[in-house]
Amino acid sequence: MVFILEDTINGILMGSIYGLTALGLTLIFGVLKVINFAHGSLLMVGMYVAYWAVTLSGAHPYLTLILVIPVMYLFGYYLQDIVIKPIFKAESEVREPITVIIVTTGVWYVLDNLTLLIFGPHYRTIQENPLRGKMLELGGMLISVPKLWGFSAAVLTAAAVYLFLQKTSMGRAIRATSLDREAASLMGIKQFKIYNIAFGIGTATAGIAAVTLVPFYNVFPTVGVLFDIKGFIIVVLGGLGSIGGAILGGMIIGVIESVGPQFMAATWAEGIVYGLFLLFLFVKPSGLFGVRYDW
Amino acid sequence: MTRENLQKAFLTLVLIIVFGLPLILRSPTYLHILVLLYLYAYLTTSWNLVGGFAGVLPLGHAAFFGIGAYTSTVLYVQYGVSPWFGMVLGGVLASITGVMIGLPTFKMRGAYFALATIAFGEGMRVMVENIDHLGPFNINGPRGLQIPPLNVGLANLMFTNKEPYYYIILVMLIAVLAVTYFISRSRLGYYLNAGGEEPEAAMSLGVNVARCKLIAMAMSSFLTALAGSFYAQFSLFIHPKSVISLDLSFEIAFIALIGGRGSIVGPVLGALLLRPVSDFSRIYFGATLPGLHLIIFGMVLILVMIYLPRGLQQPLTKAYNGLLNRLDRRSR
Repeated sequence: MVFILEDTINGILMGSIYGLTALGLTLIFGVLKVINFAHGSLLMVGMYVAYWAVTLSGAHPYLTLILVIPVMYLFGYYLQDIVIKPIFKAESEVREPITVIIVTTGVWYVLDNLTLLIFGPHYRTIQENPLRGKMLELGGMLISVPKLWGFSAAVLTAAAVYLFLQKTSMGRAIRATSLDREAASLMGIKQFKIYNIAFGIGTATAGIAAVTLVPFYNVFPTVGVLFDIKGFIIVVLGGLGSIGGAILGGMIIGVIESVGPQFMAATWAEGIVYGLFLLFLFVKPSGLFGVRYDW
Repeated sequence: MTRENLQKAFLTLVLIIVFGLPLILRSPTYLHILVLLYLYAYLTTSWNLVGGFAGVLPLGHAAFFGIGAYTSTVLYVQYGVSPWFGMVLGGVLASITGVMIGLPTFKMRGAYFALATIAFGEGMRVMVENIDHLGPFNINGPRGLQIPPLNVGLANLMFTNKEPYYYIILVMLIAVLAVTYFISRSRLGYYLNAGGEEPEAAMSLGVNVARCKLIAMAMSSFLTALAGSFYAQFSLFIHPKSVISLDLSFEIAFIALIGGRGSIVGPVLGALLLRPVSDFSRIYFGATLPGLHLIIFGMVLILVMIYLPRGLQQPLTKAYNGLLNRLDRRSR
């Protein structure tokens, strides 16, 4: 019984980090109505930035947030501005342009393979790691400390993004654009600037996820693909565009993945996740927290 | 010569070249590359029936490819059934699966459809990887299946040299192009086009959009599975990661999109232009510059989507028509 409790807790912790990786995906979808297939690759870029920052400076892994957040924000901002905006301009009347999905996949291919070309296929882990293998003992259960920090980061980031969207005037402009971009434009909101900012914030949250992953996860060029597919599942499960839904969806996936192997082969747990995903798509495509509007 | 005659002459020339190529090109390596090139052209053309004409983005076609590969292989290796029969049966099974997947998914909006097909493809791979025995059939989980190259011959779709494979896949490619051509001129083709571009308008004119898409899906999955059986007999070894991979699903879709979705020549042109890039960059730069072909692939994908949304066939078709016009005028 203790094992199941332990697995559930670790599943929730890991799952909240999955949710954090998917947070940007759901934010970008909410505003741009586009599934960003390159999101996992952006996470991968963030992990490499954090990895090199730690390796070159010897700083504490979590300290690299100071560098990773602005770098990733600018990366996302200009990625949207240079690569994705032209498509929106060409297909301004389409609500959900499939073309954009395709372009983001192109970005994914380029980023992953450029990384492979530059850094090679090696699995990298940070050497001077104060958090390596750290465990917290709690009533006979072992709980991973870096995952606990990841959980806190996920909850804090989700809360911060939510408050930003609800309480600031920029957040209000983003929400207005997501509800009706024409009407928002008529009110003087610059649609593409909002897109750039939303994409930048989404990428920055992927950067935060990357920093929480680096202390206990390998860094390699295709690491993003694992989180990409999981991210899609999580955001649909939680409801596309829902911030809280992303975190909760992540936790559900995390628990299935960590408790499932107690009852069946670990590889089957993966199958259950896909099955659950398809079931949700067919029965309740708006997900757990799918709202009528996209927030 | 008139325009029609010019076009016929051009088509004849192309046919003479492709059928005569193995007589000149004796190297098995090049024939192997050409067989795979035609296989990809065939797959992208089959994908185009749904992805191009029906205006959705299916990203799980490797599942149908895998159904074809596994059906013919299991039946041949364990029961001695001719792969030709297995091929057709695999096609029927894939077709049924395609319709079952299409029924709930075609109602979805663009992005959801793409995600559902990804989950379907990946779910299929996970299932095959986890199952060793499916009833009386041994599918051997993640280890895959090997086809012992024993009874070589046309009846067993197995040959010692590459030329027969070349001609078989060439005929399959021509057949699928003919099917696409006739569909694009048929009532179904127009309905699909209308339903893909303006579903509400098409429905208000009495077009049963969902049924048209299902028919397209049934045909597309049937044809894709045939290629799966062919591939199994060609490579004599299949495993889930090779025949049901996400990479394959994506590659099929993106080659077709780069070539030009919804056009007949587009997907073939895409394969013709991109397969050699990936083959040769893997041969010459595989060790020094890994992933180079995928960088090129991604860049081309981005640039084509931004500047040539109708694909590479757009300027090439224009140039071809211009050439025909000029020749036509000169002959008058």
